[in-house]
Amino acid sequence: MTAAAIIGAVEVRRSHVALTNDLEQLSDRLRRSTVRIHTRGERLDGVGAGVLWTHGPESLVVTNAHVVPPGRGNEAVVEDHRGRMSAAHVVARHRDHDLALLRLADSADWPEPIALADDRPLRVGELVAAVGHPFGVAGALSLGIVHAVPNDHHTWIRADVRLSPGNSGGPLAALDGTVLGINAMIVRGLGIAVPARLVRAFVAHAAESVDADS
Amino acid sequence: MLPSSAPPERANKNPSTLRGLSDDLTAAVERASHGVVAIHARPRIPASGIYWNDGIVLAASHTVRRDEDVPITLHDGSRVRANLVGRDGGTDIAVLRLTETPVPTAISVAARARDDALRVGALVLAIGRPGSEGVTAGLGIVSAVGGRWRTWSGGEIDRFVRLDLSVYDGFSGGPLVDVDGSVLGMNCSALARGAPLTIPNATLDRVVNALLTRGHVARAYLGVAMQPVRLTRSLAEQLQLADAPHGVLVVMVESDSPADTAGLLVGDIIVSAGGSPVADPQDMAELLGAERVGATIELSVIRGGERRSVSVTVGERPTNDRSRRGRGRDS
Repeated sequence: MTAAAIIGAVEVRRSHVALTNDLEQLSDRLRRSTVRIHTRGERLDGVGAGVLWTHGPESLVVTNAHVVPPGRGNEAVVEDHRGRMSAAHVVARHRDHDLALLRLADSADWPEPIALADDRPLRVGELVAAVGHPFGVAGALSLGIVHAVPNDHHTWIRADVRLSPGNSGGPLAALDGTVLGINAMIVRGLGIAVPARLVRAFVAHAAESVDADS
Repeated sequence: MLPSSAPPERANKNPSTLRGLSDDLTAAVERASHGVVAIHARPRIPASGIYWNDGIVLAASHTVRRDEDVPITLHDGSRVRANLVGRDGGTDIAVLRLTETPVPTAISVAARARDDALRVGALVLAIGRPGSEGVTAGLGIVSAVGGRWRTWSGGEIDRFVRLDLSVYDGFSGGPLVDVDGSVLGMNCSALARGAPLTIPNATLDRVVNALLTRGHVARAYLGVAMQPVRLTRSLAEQLQLADAPHGVLVVMVESDSPADTAGLLVGDIIVSAGGSPVADPQDMAELLGAERVGATIELSVIRGGERRSVSVTVGERPTNDRSRRGRGRDS
């Protein structure tokens, strides 16, 4: 092996280590802003994901409406990545956009909230990461790509990323950690996420009821 | 005023390697997408196709359910028409020709990767265009690469290439590309019970040439149905076959077929063909590649407890409409 080849091999290994480090940082960041949501049902208890959000002094959680269905009442328990729990109350649901907003009873000292991505065009093939609790596994990371860009017929994000029950309500994020959408369902193997644009509009509207409540 | 979370933190100033990979993947999709078309030749969801060269578009045969005036959507969303030139159900390849000349500028020939780029572990993208709404992509790796193989419907594929990625609408007929966006083959989910496979460029070239020059892919044909048999020890010893006491029993001979003309009879046991031992019908199939059409092959058969030699002139399989459509998942 020549010296140049050895240096080349070391550089290649270094870049692979950097790649893994990038992923680790990304998953750490997303995990801090992703919570578990426990609901009580008559026959079956539910567990889903949600993302932390702040509105003035309030600590909120955004999730899918189907994670906190009306049939399970409006009370839930939210758990952060360190295992800290708080009671939470559903303040708004949007059935068509499959979004719900919860207010945490205990508003102090939650980890950092998510940052929603700007409204920018997505590119097919760009790497995306999802964090959630597939089949109850806490804070699991999935890596994938944007499968197709939203259009007039498909306004939600379609991602080639492995999602399972328990990912619902969790973030689908770009590599910079900003959230592109809220994972909502799996259709023909593709992960479908409510885009940040709809999340922003929903929270803007729903936060009025938070203000009215407090 | 929107209730806002923390201001979005901007990305790392220095492009990370993960970012670099993401940029490479989007560039590969963009580069490949100009050669990927949508083919509207079945109900509901359209399928994908690859622009190959000179007005020729390739598609997965099982997704093409009409032969004429097939609408094609190009990269820029414009529509053109194409007619079927031919199809080979065995390899699930259909060849269409655009009716418009010259070829629209919105379409370009996909760059092709070198054949040795197909390696286990290679990061690959499956590109599709399942309609007029733009290109789609799936990410995965090449999970297995093997040698020449024969599909359930008798087609010969130069290399077995299995993928570890998800099959989605528009997968079949779309290209598999490397991280440079160069084409490694055409994806198909109908050749192995819905498993994602790629038909390598070498097979595409071979089948396209056959379909353009002859309208079909020649396939060697004897006209017999066979099943494997094991010889008794005494018979095998008597006929000096103790080392390989196997053969295939002829259970049906098609009238006027090459086997019929050569005098092969039901009840004959073929123990070797062209000097190679034969233990099951698959051995016979492997000895009967398309290049054997017209050639004479010596069969060693057991008839009435004795070995004798039968010369067969290999024929060409009559075209079979049943093979027009593949089985398997319709994607």
